[in-house]
Amino acid sequence: MPNLLIAFITGLTTGGLSCLAVQGGLLASSLAGQIEKDLQASANTPQRKRKRGALQPNRPHPQLALPIVLFLAAKLAAYTVLGYFLGLLGSVFQLTPLARAVLQFAIGIFMVGSALRMLNVHPIFRYFAFEPPAFLRKRIRRAAVNGTSYFTPLFLGFLTVLIPCGVTQAMMAVAISTADPLSGAALMFAFTLGTSPVFFAVAYFATRLGAKLEKNFMRFAAIVVLALGIVTIDTGLNLAGSPVSLTRAFNALLPQPAVAQSAPSSSAAEPPGVVSALDVLGSEDEQPAVATSDIALGEDVVTIEVKNYGYEPSRVKAKAGVPLRLRLVTNKTYSCSLALVIPALNFAQVLEPTGEVFIDIPPQKQGTRMPFACSMGMFTGDIVFE
Amino acid sequence: MVKKTFKIDGMECPNCAMRLESIEDRLDGIRDIEANYHKGLLVVEYDEKKVSDAVISEEVARLGYRVTGVAAR
Repeated sequence: MPNLLIAFITGLTTGGLSCLAVQGGLLASSLAGQIEKDLQASANTPQRKRKRGALQPNRPHPQLALPIVLFLAAKLAAYTVLGYFLGLLGSVFQLTPLARAVLQFAIGIFMVGSALRMLNVHPIFRYFAFEPPAFLRKRIRRAAVNGTSYFTPLFLGFLTVLIPCGVTQAMMAVAISTADPLSGAALMFAFTLGTSPVFFAVAYFATRLGAKLEKNFMRFAAIVVLALGIVTIDTGLNLAGSPVSLTRAFNALLPQPAVAQSAPSSSAAEPPGVVSALDVLGSEDEQPAVATSDIALGEDVVTIEVKNYGYEPSRVKAKAGVPLRLRLVTNKTYSCSLALVIPALNFAQVLEPTGEVFIDIPPQKQGTRMPFACSMGMFTGDIVFE
Repeated sequence: MVKKTFKIDGMECPNCAMRLESIEDRLDGIRDIEANYHKGLLVVEYDEKKVSDAVISEEVARLGYRVTGVAAR
């Protein structure tokens, strides 16, 4: 359940705006039917108010609420069905971290391109907008003129499934990782429902804001999308295990007590003991957020606490040249930090919300830096072998 | 029948293409019309006895866009 709440909130906050940037064209097309009808009606009225261009592109129209709701309902249905199939897919096959990184990277570039298009930086960026094919546009127009206009928003709402935005695609990856059709469907439902209020508000009020205000609003939306796009590219870099990324640069700037506390190698005098899951469970209580290290048969052990807001410590030091046993502890963790990816090892696993997992890492050369991240590339960390 | 390409200024979203194509419903003598948001073009095939490129340009302007050039195809 907390997952669903997080999905809903993600939709409500970042999902709405970034998806609007990508799918706004389809929504506008579906409303165009109504607006077009209105245009025709006004063109046929005897007192033509042709001053100051009575036929503005975005003319207020009182009957927009229904098409917007239909569009959003169809979108919700489409994504819920998609979620079902993604969960089903996840139960059969898992996206590799690299595939996910490439996907994120591509999505990020698409978002940045969309933002630059919205800002009218250069006509070339127009290619970042989805343009319905000519035959479809004709059909939409005909449908609108013939009064069967409910079909249009429903149909186009369903089509949004073909152009998921960046945040949606990240959510789709989470849906795959649920590996269960019903959970996947519920997750995508919650997320898409979250995006709906923003869609509705923007679509409904944009037509009433007036051209100038709308332009400013679009500019604002474009800047938000630009920022989200850069973050998405960055998460792609993190996922690919790139040692250089904005997140890592930012983390390096923050004061990091974790670095100092990390993984002190125990003295060799310590009696060797086999670390079993039970042993560690017993000593787990009230452990400080410090990576502990025990030597077990020449092995280095490092603990990382997986928290809702990231990994603690985010930079750990480990011994070079000996096998490393990475101990991951979760305690009521429900964020995406649970889905841990270590690109260098091609390791990806969704941890249990509470529990612990050991990962055995083969000996590494001195100076090796092994980046890890959550599956969305938002939380990052490094293991440094010394 | 002639086919001409109008270069359009002011198309800001893909939806503009559909708006421009609606000219077909308003003017007589248009056989085929296709707008392209990506390229900022409007290609119109029309009966020059019934409608002229000046009339089409005027209609484009009425929708809030600007014709910056016309070329025969």
